[in-house]
Amino acid sequence: MSQKKMAAPCARMASWPLLRYFSRFERTPIANSVFRPFSNSSLRRSNLRNKLAPETPRSPWTLMAAVCLQRPPVISADLSLVEQRFARLMQQMELEKSILSEHELRLLEDAERLRRKQADEDDDDDDDERKEQDIVLTQDLEDEWERKFKTFRPAPRTTDDADKDLSSSGRLLSDSLVLLAEQQVGSDKLWLLPQAQWRPGETLRHTAQRALASLGEPTIKANFLGQAPCGVYKYKLPKAARSDTSLGAKIFFFKAILTPDTPTNAEPNTALMWLSKRELQRFLKPAYMMKVERFILGP
Amino acid sequence: MAAALTRYVGRILSRPTAPMGGVSVENGGVHVPWLTSVMTLRTSAPLSAEPKKKKKVDPRREQVMRERLKKKLKKLERVPPELIPIEDLITPTKCLDETRVRSAPRLSFDESESRALLLKEWGRYKHEQHLAEMQAIQLALKAQKEALDELKTESEELYQAALQPDPLMFPFSHEGPAYTPPKPNYEAPDGKYTDITKVYTQ
Repeated sequence: MSQKKMAAPCARMASWPLLRYFSRFERTPIANSVFRPFSNSSLRRSNLRNKLAPETPRSPWTLMAAVCLQRPPVISADLSLVEQRFARLMQQMELEKSILSEHELRLLEDAERLRRKQADEDDDDDDDERKEQDIVLTQDLEDEWERKFKTFRPAPRTTDDADKDLSSSGRLLSDSLVLLAEQQVGSDKLWLLPQAQWRPGETLRHTAQRALASLGEPTIKANFLGQAPCGVYKYKLPKAARSDTSLGAKIFFFKAILTPDTPTNAEPNTALMWLSKRELQRFLKPAYMMKVERFILGP
Repeated sequence: MAAALTRYVGRILSRPTAPMGGVSVENGGVHVPWLTSVMTLRTSAPLSAEPKKKKKVDPRREQVMRERLKKKLKKLERVPPELIPIEDLITPTKCLDETRVRSAPRLSFDESESRALLLKEWGRYKHEQHLAEMQAIQLALKAQKEALDELKTESEELYQAALQPDPLMFPFSHEGPAYTPPKPNYEAPDGKYTDITKVYTQ
């Protein structure tokens, strides 16, 4: 709370109208979402007891489910400049406000003893001096600990080579990655979130799970988060391909998290890509991207 | 004393009673077949004691004793249990030692100014971050609401199925990011430690 008070008031007042402007911007209707022209009869509720039976009459939209599989970050992100400066300041302030620990007291005592020895002050007991020589100096202890620490080599944080391989899930360890697959849609091959068509008799989440399994990677295991979809994308087929039964398709997205036990496969699968949110723009169609980026939280 | 008792018993029994099944008369016309056995009874200490108290009083007394005990127990239970001390909130006496005080640094005016400015900048940065996070969450929720609305207009059964809670989701656990990535085939050294946490019972 105190941090909010400390924010400069002029900056806050400047940001409010900006925010309002942006929120107005995202409320405007997006070009591709067209209102559905079918009649009210298809909105009749089905009286069948069987929950998963298809509705009659069938709506002209093909239902599809896609999975947004995310690999959460493995290492903490690098600190930005402000964060670095603040971290340093915090360390300093905490040090200043603290009291001396036992280790530090021992260091001070040793320093005091050394100073006395060097000044050649009269020590009454020779036995005491001999005893002091047997005691390990705290500085030696510190050096010992330092040495032991250096023997441990942690795995490197930045992996430039692995970053370039777009199909490895071990790239960009500090970002969360999304899985993209190259799939045949109509006549073109597009890069999209793995999707599959809904079959009557299954829930949409099952369809999403089937979509993930159909990629052909048995090593990828995911935890699906809930039964509800997190986003939807609908597109109308070009007028030539439209018919009474198929007006277009609605793709429902389901979120999943990659389980950490999956081993990074040795052979890269060129049909799959793991991309961070920034890189998604290069590969996804703009309308699709606009719908997808809303539920992918991240920088 | 014993003879008097037997005589007393004999007098009671010598009152005219109907003859019992043609038994031979003994003891001068007294028709009591078991009187001899009574006469041969040896009176021992318990028999010579006072007659026993009536059965009504004992259970009453026991009940009274039990009630008294219950009342005492209730009084003891009403006392609130001793609170378990929270060790984190008790400053150990070692910290109040005066020899441990660090010499307070003297900050120059520039240094304190720069610190204050950095703190303000940090506040601003965090505020922006917070606003951005809240906005992102709102957007994600909006996207989900839109998806559910579309699903509802599409098919009621699928919508209902989507609203069901997932029983397999919990227990859910996820480990957050560390500073360095995990080393493949790393064997962590065994750490032995003695647990000295104090366990309190109320």
